[in-house]
Amino acid sequence: MRLSGLQKEVLSLYRQCLRESRKKPQATRPHFESYARNEFQKYIGIDRKDFAAVEFLLRKGRRQLELYSNPGIKDIK
Amino acid sequence: MASIARSSLLRQSAFAAKSLRQQSVLQNAVRTSAFHTTSRRNILPPPPQRVEGTVNDAVPVPPPSPSHGSYHWTFERLMSAGLVPLTIAPFAAGSLNPTLDAVLCAALLIHSHLGFQSVIIDYIPKKRMPNARKFFMWGLNAATAIVGLALYEFETTDVGLTETIKRVWKA
Amino acid sequence: MAALRSTSARILGASSRPATLRLAAAPAARGFAQLADGATESQKASGDPANMKTFQIYRWNPDTPTEKPRMQSYTLDLKKTGPMVLDALIRIKNELDPTLTFRRSCREGICGSCAMNINGTNTLACLCRIPAEDNAEMKIYPLPHTYVVKDLVPDLTLFYKQYKSIKPYLQRDTPSPDGKEYRQSKADRKKLDGLYECILCACCSTSCPSYWWNSEEYLGPAILLQSYRWLADSRDERKAERKAALDNSMSLYRCHTILNCTRTCPKGLNPGLAIAEIKKEMAFSG
Repeated sequence: MRLSGLQKEVLSLYRQCLRESRKKPQATRPHFESYARNEFQKYIGIDRKDFAAVEFLLRKGRRQLELYSNPGIKDIK
Repeated sequence: MASIARSSLLRQSAFAAKSLRQQSVLQNAVRTSAFHTTSRRNILPPPPQRVEGTVNDAVPVPPPSPSHGSYHWTFERLMSAGLVPLTIAPFAAGSLNPTLDAVLCAALLIHSHLGFQSVIIDYIPKKRMPNARKFFMWGLNAATAIVGLALYEFETTDVGLTETIKRVWKA
Repeated sequence: MAALRSTSARILGASSRPATLRLAAAPAARGFAQLADGATESQKASGDPANMKTFQIYRWNPDTPTEKPRMQSYTLDLKKTGPMVLDALIRIKNELDPTLTFRRSCREGICGSCAMNINGTNTLACLCRIPAEDNAEMKIYPLPHTYVVKDLVPDLTLFYKQYKSIKPYLQRDTPSPDGKEYRQSKADRKKLDGLYECILCACCSTSCPSYWWNSEEYLGPAILLQSYRWLADSRDERKAERKAALDNSMSLYRCHTILNCTRTCPKGLNPGLAIAEIKKEMAFSG
């Protein structure tokens, strides 16, 4: 299946999330991974043609990733 | 009912717990009066804005290139300012000079080329639509070349620009 | 619910009744209900007719991103509201709908938080009077061509990032002669009048069509005004660098003197003139 540009961006954001969570301490890594997974799961039902919503969620996700990738943050939830 | 007690309903909706039904009535009423001014679907939606770096990084400063910046601007202004005397001169003098005519044609050509160029730079951002930008820029170059060639032919084999305007004016 | 419906006919005449009803029904709303009650009674005492005005406000909730933005209307009595739009917004938030979201801080036009689009003009809600003469609806939108965070709150990340890129601080290599402070003549100080007052509310930038098209690369009137503020400062010693940073096709020269910035500025400044001054300096100093 060919993915649209927006879909690719979503996947790349998810990949980035997993990559960033690998930089976290061994013990809390599953927390970050499950948090990222949950956040994506929450909006899995969004229509892929609803560009405004997807773009907003991408922006929000990037901002969150930026925040949580701070090395000072060791655990989540 | 929604129309009669609307203001009190609004007030109610935020506080009372059992006003769920009223709320749905209200929301329907509101949704119908949503956007009347904007169309539901844009014809050509702009590509999303891309912000580079984190929130605390400054926007990257582009490398200085005066030939696209200050020199370009000054040249543009000189060109448009120069067009004013060039257009008036042949009519004020009353005589037709082929050299002056050629200069006027060249100035007009460059002036319009610069003008279209900045239209393209404005409306087709290089970052968001690099291919379209390239296409339009080359299209403009081609158009300018063709018009230049046509003007050259017109000047050398026909009567020339000023003479044409004079004749059309009198016709 | 049934009780409310039976009184709905009376609501039109006097709105104090349902307020007291609710007081009994919902103890959580007591503080508010008393407030509204007191207000209606004082109005009854003075005998003034209510001066109702409808505000149509842009609503969008980020928690439900698939829902389209909508306009919600609120009706307020201007007799009980302050004169400015911000007063009305605060009153709506306090009394009608606590979910309404907007930025505000100083309520006197010095912080630039409450910039929004009111009746088609970008301005500060705290400096914009509610026109009392006509009872036309007022339409309130967030700043145009910005990403909306919620309701009337725009995302100004890019704007601040651009502000950072012009290095808005004094850059000097030589220490001051007396080792105390960097002094300036009165004439030099005068050059900064009309520039230093800018509060970076983003009203001008978001009203500029050039900025709408090229917000990523064009700096926009507000940032260029600030840029000129440092170019015009006699104490700054990095003018050449500052000019070089602007000397490209996009940062400065996307300004086509549309002058929406000057027309909209709620502080009465002239960003258009500042940009023209920068262009002049760049053209004549080479």
